[in-house]
Amino acid sequence: MRTWRKKTMASGSLFVWGSGAGLAVALLMVIGLLLLIVVNGMGFFWTGDIIELTLADGKHLMGQQAGRETIPNSVAPDAPKGKSRVRVKIGNRDLYGLDFKWVDEDRIASQTFPPNAVLLERREWGNFYGWIKAIRKGETLHAAGSDIGWNALLPLVDQANDLHAGINRIERVEIGEINAAITRAQLKIRALEMNQPPGQAPHGPTLDRLKTAIASAEAQYREKTEQLDKLNAQFNEYSVLMVDANGREKQLPVGQIIRALRPNDMGIPAKIWVYITNVWRVLADEPREANTEGGIFPAIFGTVMMVLIMSMAVVPFGVLAALYLREYAKQGTVVRLVRIAVNNLAGVPSIVFGVFGLGFFVYAIGGTIDTLFFPESLPSPTYGTGGILWASLTLALMTVPVVIVATEEGLAAVPRDFREGSLALGATKLETVVRVILPCALPAILTGLILAMARAAGEVAPLMLTGVVKLAPTLPVDATWPFFHFDRKFMHLGFHIYDVGFQSPNVEAAKPMVYITTLVLIMVVVLLNLTAITLRNHLRKKYAGSAV
Amino acid sequence: MAESAAETASVLAPARIDSRAWRQLLDRLAQVIISLGGYAVILSILGIFVFLVMEVAPLFFAPTGQRTGQFLAGPLLQSLPQATLVGVEEHQEVAYLLKAGDTGHVSFFSLPSGKPLETETPAALAGAPVTAVTRASGKGGRFGLGTADGRLISMDIEMAADFVKETRRIVPRIAVSLPIQIIPTKDKVVRLAYQRTDAGTAAAVLTESGRLWHSTVLPPSNPEAAPTVNPVELTAQITGTATALLLDGRGETLAVGTADGRLYYWDVRETGHPVLLENLAVSRSGAAVTTLAYLIGDRSLVIGTGSGEVSAWMPVRATKESNATRLLPIHQFGAHPAAVTGISPSQRDKGFVTGDAQGNVFVHYATSGQTLLRFPGDGIAIGSLMFAPKANGAVAMTDAGLIASYAIHNPHPEITFASLFQPVWYEGYEQPEHVWQSSGATDDFEAKFGLTPLLFGTIKGTLYAMLLAVPLAVLGAIYTSMFMHPDLRAKIKPTIEIMAALPTVVLGFLAGLWMAPLLERIFPAVLAMFVVLPLSAMLAALLWQLLPCTLRNGIRPGVEAFLLMPVLVGAAFLCLSFNASIESLLFGADYKNWLANTLGLRYDQRNALVVGFAMGFAIIPIIFSISEEALSNVPRNLIAGSLALGATPWQTLARLVFISASPGIFSALMIGFGRAVGETMIVLMATGNTPIMDWSLFNGFRTLSANIAVEIPEAPHGGTLYRTLFMAALLLFAITFLVNTGAEIIRQRLRKKYSQF
Repeated sequence: MRTWRKKTMASGSLFVWGSGAGLAVALLMVIGLLLLIVVNGMGFFWTGDIIELTLADGKHLMGQQAGRETIPNSVAPDAPKGKSRVRVKIGNRDLYGLDFKWVDEDRIASQTFPPNAVLLERREWGNFYGWIKAIRKGETLHAAGSDIGWNALLPLVDQANDLHAGINRIERVEIGEINAAITRAQLKIRALEMNQPPGQAPHGPTLDRLKTAIASAEAQYREKTEQLDKLNAQFNEYSVLMVDANGREKQLPVGQIIRALRPNDMGIPAKIWVYITNVWRVLADEPREANTEGGIFPAIFGTVMMVLIMSMAVVPFGVLAALYLREYAKQGTVVRLVRIAVNNLAGVPSIVFGVFGLGFFVYAIGGTIDTLFFPESLPSPTYGTGGILWASLTLALMTVPVVIVATEEGLAAVPRDFREGSLALGATKLETVVRVILPCALPAILTGLILAMARAAGEVAPLMLTGVVKLAPTLPVDATWPFFHFDRKFMHLGFHIYDVGFQSPNVEAAKPMVYITTLVLIMVVVLLNLTAITLRNHLRKKYAGSAV
Repeated sequence: MAESAAETASVLAPARIDSRAWRQLLDRLAQVIISLGGYAVILSILGIFVFLVMEVAPLFFAPTGQRTGQFLAGPLLQSLPQATLVGVEEHQEVAYLLKAGDTGHVSFFSLPSGKPLETETPAALAGAPVTAVTRASGKGGRFGLGTADGRLISMDIEMAADFVKETRRIVPRIAVSLPIQIIPTKDKVVRLAYQRTDAGTAAAVLTESGRLWHSTVLPPSNPEAAPTVNPVELTAQITGTATALLLDGRGETLAVGTADGRLYYWDVRETGHPVLLENLAVSRSGAAVTTLAYLIGDRSLVIGTGSGEVSAWMPVRATKESNATRLLPIHQFGAHPAAVTGISPSQRDKGFVTGDAQGNVFVHYATSGQTLLRFPGDGIAIGSLMFAPKANGAVAMTDAGLIASYAIHNPHPEITFASLFQPVWYEGYEQPEHVWQSSGATDDFEAKFGLTPLLFGTIKGTLYAMLLAVPLAVLGAIYTSMFMHPDLRAKIKPTIEIMAALPTVVLGFLAGLWMAPLLERIFPAVLAMFVVLPLSAMLAALLWQLLPCTLRNGIRPGVEAFLLMPVLVGAAFLCLSFNASIESLLFGADYKNWLANTLGLRYDQRNALVVGFAMGFAIIPIIFSISEEALSNVPRNLIAGSLALGATPWQTLARLVFISASPGIFSALMIGFGRAVGETMIVLMATGNTPIMDWSLFNGFRTLSANIAVEIPEAPHGGTLYRTLFMAALLLFAITFLVNTGAEIIRQRLRKKYSQF
């Protein structure tokens, strides 16, 4: 026994296992976290069956089950232990005020899955669960009864969605362009006024041309508004009368309905199809209901745009610095200082970059640009406020060390013979660098770029100071001249998580959206990182042999 | 990079045809550009630092000011103590002068020239024998005029800005009420304090015969009736002659200073029944109290004495529970060489100006207790003075009838190094404290810019994160570098890199919305896990030793961590399922009650424990990677030597590898520390962001970084808050700079050392 103990202590196998436990816990944490996000995020797209609960007191509840747990002590300290309760998404926020309800299992008398129960996804107020009673056209009855109503409703919903798209296009795109034209013309008039000597009103053909432009734009605007009114009347023509689980009636305009489903009647393939369309809609739609519903397309677009602009800034700078360190500088004190500086830059907290970006890019540079080039719109700032350009540049500054380090590693891996061969053949140093070394190091540079992109995609704190917003009315790229609007504010996946999860009034209803956004962000970041890691491993293998 | 390569290539294209000189030139040019790029990296680091410093520096610039003009306003009546009153409107373009006498009570002058402005004096004022003039405290030009027959005249001066062709002209307008007999005798008023209140008018009067009165005037119930006047004589309640009278902005308290250096302090809220609250000596030298003033907000009372002392007093609650307050001297300011003759508070912050009998004018700031500026006088006493409404200037009038105007540039009066980092005695506090509270609901809010609670929060969050992260990361790194199967190692490192790449906003969201409520429910189980998980790992290790060799040899070595995973998951599950039992076993019934009753701690849902987990998660990969690198870089021949001499792998690790890699591991800890210090999103989302100073694991805190994120959207560009937040950023920069540079130096030294082998 004693010898066994001695042996164990000496070999330290206990400690080996102990250190293994440290790694195991860390790995479990990562795996657990990823699983948690994937399960929660993916689960949201699945349309569960509609359950109808009859409670012991005779009341009814209808909705989708959204969880089950042992009743915690804090909720009912005196209740007997070990009982469970279920969480039901009851929807109908306009009727009940709450989306979710906990029901103790003790109180449930019976539960059924009524086959003709309908789930309506609405533009406002969240889901509605109930039965169709009738469909009306204005005040007249269009269709009555659950099944007839259902069949009549489906084409109406499609029609309403088409109308909605049309209305949206007129409101957002066409009227938006007219407004932009008017604003542009007004600003030009303002600029004319500012160039005049004081006390004199501007005149001349330019002014007349601008004024007619405004007048014609305003006429167009009136035309569009009339068109819009007609569409809106059509949009709200039909309404559907719904009955909830307790027999309460509610009339809803069909225009409010995005989609009608009867989940209890649907087979697995139909549900999978709904699942796929759900995924697509989240990725491609605009947010609704203070970002808690709808899609996250503007956030995805904003993130991608920002990362792209950042890449354009970070690569030249990072590669130049790495070339200097590896190829040009004399290895001495200066290089040591630069290395320390690079490492420091990587360690500076991101919020400090945000503060710097706000003070330097937004107020100092942006403010100067405004006074020089956009004096006519002052005091409302053009570049002197947060925008996608400033946010991208701030992040470029933050991620440049990543590119430098990766590029340096790539340059170091290029075998010495390549350089010497090139130089011996009479190439200048520049030619050697451009034609021989950089092509060899290209994968490494790409690795650095991808890592920088991944870091930038996930960073939020500096963006909060330099131009991200919870809801941007327009994308940074659109059909209005000059197409790329670097001064515009933008939405971002990471900030979307913070905003929806922590700033929205109804956090419980917003949670699915937060999980989905998180899932998308994590997928982007993990994919980028995996690409970078694969690329780098490939690179290391390639040069491992040739470096001899 | 692809673009730059292509670009250079196209530039190079003619080189094929062209001469060698062209290529040489390009080569040189590229050398210059690339070197510049390298220097740009250092410069950008330096640039960030310099820029932050430049934004912060104005906070600490000494205030500046000068006399901008001086003019003679005419002869004065010298015999009465409150015979003159000088003032200025917010643009400092027009000054006004109120004078005792029978005529010419109000006159206006344009500044700085001193040219008199023509204005109509209301008829009601003509011929009134005014003997004392005073200003009501607070914003708006409200004045009280006392007469030789014991009457009070209320006067309003409005300075309207009139725009004619975009040039501003200030047009003064005067409104005067009918005189009201404010004291029962027709005595001559020599000192007067006056205030307009919600109920009516309040006044304190000292007559020529030395009688002291407090009087309120209530408006009549119907328009025809006369207003109700309630005079109460206070002469008997004081000893010595009253030399200064002061009513607060709501007319609720009356302060009277006397010739023997005492202050009497009444509660006058109940009409007709003043209650004497305090009677205390306020002058150290026993000199007379010459002037009194409330600072904005009516909490701090500034007292000037005949020997030149200036002090600020505040009502301080004796204990936290009691409502009774005592006036305590909180700040002593730079003393005047002669008797203080006038005090004028700022209308936007806790600053004030004082003047003395030798003509000196000083500018002070109450929160920091500093005397900021001293304008030397020319020997003639200041009779009256006023701080300009925007606190950017002042006017003062000497007894010789000279009105001087001053410009004062002091945009950040409340900030000193001491007020940022040391406890400050703020209004309404029992003692000096570290407080961060940048904005309040009212205009007279005293901004509290103490960075110490935020530094404290930063350190607290970092510490709890390190407590979790360091053991896990270092143990994991040891295992990975020394004992793990090499094939597996190649798989583990990318996993950890992914862990490092997880956006912190995700960690913060999970910590705040998922973990915080969960932890509140399963806290006892989590507590148990800290003991059960290591024990179960040990137990698993022991059991493994007891397994027959044939079974053990079936599994290759270096996979212990993976064998442990199910064990750990099982143990954690066990803890969770016995959550309720653990709770009743350890804490009786409810752990929150137990915490509150036994330890006196309150459990907040978003607390330091949650942050510890989330931020620990964020820094584990950093510490892991750098420690792992340090451990793997220990020269292989040393390890091989140790093993060849018969040491077990564990002995090799403990006596050789760990010790020689310990500087590297230390630098890993430093870099992890640096990362945690600056982390923003996790603390922003997972704590309540309350700037309190408490080490408790169960409440929240606010860090420097989260504070910046929370407050900078509301900070106007160039303001004090804006610059203070830049100061916070600079602090973060400095901390991380020091820590990272230290770590980098250690690593470079270590690399050099290993390269010898």
